[in-house]
Formats: sequence, C-alpha cells, structure tokens
Amino acid sequence: MREAAAVGNGGVIQSTALPPLTQPVIVGVAVAYFAVVAAIGIWATRRTRTASDFFVAGQGIGLWALAIASMAATLSGFAFIGGPGLVYSVGIGAVFIVLPVSITNSMGAWVLAKRMRLLAEVRDMITVPDAIGARYRSPLAQGLAGLSILIAVVGYMATNVLALGLVIDAIFGVGLVWGIWIGTLITLAYSVSGGILAGVYTDLFQGGLMALASVLVFVYVLETGSGLSGISRTILASDPGFLGPWGKLTPLAALSFFFVFGLGSLGQPHVVHKFYMLRDPRRLKWYPLLMTAALFVTLLLYVGVGLAVKALVVNGTVPALGRADDATPLFLLRFTPLLLAALVFSGVAAAIMSTVNSFMSIGAAALTHDLPVALGRRVGNELRWGRIATVVISIVAALVAQASGTLVAFLGIFGWGLFASTLVPALAIGLNWQGATRAGAVASIATGLVVTLVFETLGYFRVYAFPAGVTVSALSLVASVLVFLAVSWLTRTSDGAAIDPDIRLVMEV
Amino acid sequence: MTRSIALGALLASALLIAAAYLGALVADSVPVWASWALMLGTSTIMLAMTVLGASRRGAGVGKLAVPFAVMFAVLLVGFGAVLVMPAETPSSALWFGLPPRAAVVLYGIGTLPLFVLPFAYALTFESMTLSDADLERVRCVKQQRSGTAA
Repeated sequence: MREAAAVGNGGVIQSTALPPLTQPVIVGVAVAYFAVVAAIGIWATRRTRTASDFFVAGQGIGLWALAIASMAATLSGFAFIGGPGLVYSVGIGAVFIVLPVSITNSMGAWVLAKRMRLLAEVRDMITVPDAIGARYRSPLAQGLAGLSILIAVVGYMATNVLALGLVIDAIFGVGLVWGIWIGTLITLAYSVSGGILAGVYTDLFQGGLMALASVLVFVYVLETGSGLSGISRTILASDPGFLGPWGKLTPLAALSFFFVFGLGSLGQPHVVHKFYMLRDPRRLKWYPLLMTAALFVTLLLYVGVGLAVKALVVNGTVPALGRADDATPLFLLRFTPLLLAALVFSGVAAAIMSTVNSFMSIGAAALTHDLPVALGRRVGNELRWGRIATVVISIVAALVAQASGTLVAFLGIFGWGLFASTLVPALAIGLNWQGATRAGAVASIATGLVVTLVFETLGYFRVYAFPAGVTVSALSLVASVLVFLAVSWLTRTSDGAAIDPDIRLVMEV
Repeated sequence: MTRSIALGALLASALLIAAAYLGALVADSVPVWASWALMLGTSTIMLAMTVLGASRRGAGVGKLAVPFAVMFAVLLVGFGAVLVMPAETPSSALWFGLPPRAAVVLYGIGTLPLFVLPFAYALTFESMTLSDADLERVRCVKQQRSGTAA
C-alpha cells in the first residue's frame, strides 16, 4: 500500500532497479531511439532563434503535435512500470488514478484551452504564471505561481531523472550514476538547444511510440490470459476483492485519486502551457477527442499488464513478484516478442524524457521570466538565460537524484499536488470568473504552497499521519479552492473590477 | 445566471469534499457517509468546473446542457451503483469480461464520457466555443493594443 499512498501524495515514478535488460535487440532499439531523438533535436535547434521559439515553439505547432505532445508530457514512466505494478498490488482501485481521463481533457478544453490560447493572441505569453499575472494585474501572484512551479519542478525532475537513470542502467548496464547523467545529458542536449520546439516534436515521436507499444502489449495481454473473461475468472477464484471497484483500497482512497487527478489536471503547467503553442486556435475543435483517445490507448498497458500478471501468479504460471514494479518487465520478457519488449522499454525512456523536457522548459521559464517579473525586473536576453537556466535546473535535479534517494522520494511526492493546489483556483477558476480577485489568487496560491509543504514535511518525518484515504494533495487542493472563493468574495468590492479590457474580452468570448 | 449557479455548485461541492475529509480526520474509522459525500462532491465539482468553462456571458451553456447532464449522470449513477451493489464472489457474472462493479467503473465512468464529451465539444465548437467572429474581435483588440503602444 506504500505505493498507493505515495501516488496519492503526488507522482510516483520508478524508484527501484529494473531487472537487467542488456540484450542486443533491446540495446539496438534503444540506440536507434536515441538517434531519432538526437536528429529531431538538431532539426529543432536550427529553427530556434527567439525566446518565443524556445519557450512556446513560436506559436507554430499543429493539432496533432499539441495533442500527442500533451499526452506524452502527461504520462511519465509510471504509466508503464509503476502503474501496472500498482494494479498488480491493489487491483482495480489503482485505476482511479487514470479513470478521470475520459473527462479531464474535455473539461480542460472548455475551462482553459481556448482562454489560454486567446491570451497568447492578445499578449506575449510564454509561461502559465504570465496568464495569472495578466488576469489579476499582479506581479506578486505571478511570482508566487512561478515559485510554486519551480519548487515542484525540481522535485518532479529529480524523481524522473532517477527513473531515467534506472531504465538506462537496466538497458545498457552502465550503473545508476552513469545512467542518471547519460539520461540527463541526452534530454538536456535537445532541450537546451532546441527548447520546447525540440521537446514537442520529440514528444510527438515518443507519444506515437508509447501508444503503439501499449496497444500491441494489450493484444498479448488478452492472448496470454485467454481474454479479459479468462483473466477475471482466474482472479475471482482466489481473490474476488482484487476485482472489486476499489480493489484493496478504501472507497475514500480511490475516490480521492479521482478528485485529485481529475480536478488537479487543470493545474498541470507542463500540459496547460502547450495551449499557447497552437498555430490556429480554431484547431482546438478536435483537441479533446485526439488527446483523450491517445491517452486511452496508451493506458491500455497500465490496466492490462497489472491484471494479466496477477492472473498468471494466481494460476501458478509465474511465481509471486518480489517487487510490484517487476510486473511489466516480467510480462514483456516472458510473454511478448523481444522486439516489442525493446519498443516498450524505449517507450518508458521516451515517457520519462518527454516529461523531463517539459519540466526543464517551464522551470527555466519560471526562473528567468516569472521570478524577475515579480521583483520588477526583466531579463535582457531571455533566450540565452533560458538556456542557461535549463542547464542549471537539470544539473541540480541530477545531483539531487544522484545524491540521496531519501531526498528524491521526499521531493517527488508532492509535485502533482503542489501544481494542482496552487494553480487550479487562480488559473482555472479565475479565468472563468470575473469576480475572482487578486487577493483571492494570492491567498489561494499561498494556501496551496503552505498546506502542501507543511503537511508533506510532517508526514514525511512521521510527525503526523492522515487516516487511510486522506491525502495532503486532496486537502491542499480543496483548501485552496475554498480560500480562493472566500477571499475573492470578501474583497470583491475593492478590486473586483481590476481586469484589463483585452483580458476581459478573452474571458467573455 | 449559469455562471452564478456553477459557482454556487463549485462552492457547495468543495464544502462537501472538505466535510468528507474532516469526517475521516475526526472519526476513529472513516464514516460511511464520507465516501458518499466525496463521491457527490467530486462529481459535482467536475460538472461545475466544466459548466463554468463552457458558459458564455449571457448565453449559458445552451445545448451543451445535454452532454453535461449525461456526464453528471454517469458519474453519480456509476459511483452510486458501485457503492451499493453486492461484493464480488468467485461465481460473479461477468459484464464484457469484468465483474459488474468493475465493469461499471471501467466501461461506465472510464469510457462512456469519451464517446460524449469530445464529440459535444467538436460539434458545438463554432457556435458555443470559438467562432470566426470571436477570433476577429480578439485580434482587433490586439491590433488596438499594438497601435496604442506604438
């Protein structure tokens, strides 16, 4: 249940070693994959000339690139390794993490996509906190949002870089430290030179790879388990509760997943930020369908492998797993062709790298753009400083990942919750409610920051523990929403009308 | 009016979610009503946010009310059903390969909205979300700002 608790508190990435995968086919596919990524990076570098190119791809990407890149950035390696392991451990309850996907992309399109894209039409927006700063005419709110993003990004990146190191070590057998630095340098190479443009187009390639691999693996899941009915019958015979709606979780815990990963999806800057990049806002029309379908297909592996391995253990085909995270590697190496296994392992690296790249970009933007704005300053050459900040943040994250597994675990658990509690009220509600005030935005961001950091710290050092099913992420999210509504209502007469005409128009159309 | 109702629903659902967690925090064991409150609060807050985002000043959500009602019904009925339906046994019937409650979760809540919401978004995009005229208005404002700045 430790995995489930950790997921509830943020994002769990791969944190334990994978079995050795140093086979020629797997190594060959991985090398080919990295070569394609490098080629895309070189191509993007030639097209990156301004800060706008670097941070928002020059507002020039198409619908497919937006949808698939958003999908790839949404899913980390957890979708391929940790997620199936969690399903294997706790059953159907683990699915509540991804269950909101059927709704969240449409909700996000109605709530944020159009308004974010139109904001980029009337102003030169390059970061998500830019939107908050413009909405409330508040450098303080923008700076606080940037600070929250920076804190969460370093933690998230450290966990992802550690996961990448583990995957590279498993494939190439180079050791964890070299794995961390090789993974960091490859991602850094295309991110620092080609910026988010390189990120988007590598994400497009990586997302396609992830979706293809997931569908093929699901076919083998059904074949191995004699269909979904065969898998269910096998599991029901020995452990019916595993296939109950909550699995081994409590109803409160499973529903908490749905709440945090559902509403919290509106505050994930590495996804929301991509709305700025779309060439033509009218292309948003088919965004929810494409994005939802891509996520749905890619998550087949998440659900299928966990259930299939449980059935294989129950019927004695394979022994019980020592570690839940071995579910995917075991299934791939024993029940699928080696080439497909190689594709999936490259897909895991792809998923992690695409997430890391997005974090590099938004972290660098927070450091070189949002924080200086909050202090009343502007950085002279944002492209050059953006590149320098990308390198600095990446090195810090890699050092953290290398130095202390304990620190990584601590930093990694609150990323998702911090993003959600600090950004959902001020951004998602605030862009759709003219009565929201600057004071409400500042108070809600501060509430999200303080509640998340204080309670995660208390929980981590075991000073205080919440009952099963109650998570810091959920509490901080609901607290920041209530504070936002209450403070905005209390201050509505003092600064409720403080919206610039162009921003007001974006909020009204 | 629609936005006011959505905001009211947002506040009520957030309070309901907070009450569920407070109930779990203060009691020795998590009370049964807390799960119901969290289910109702979560379903409502998702609907309220979607309505808030989709409604346009003075025009409400128009025909989008139908897909939104479907989404809310799927969430409420789905979660409600799995809270009251009998537990699984080794001889449970299978619905499309899964025990009934798991099928409600995966096929109902996890899949059904996929066939409603994205299509509703696309089919009403020009009339309810962003028309060419809307875009023109926004671009005019940008030009005015540029002119003023120059």
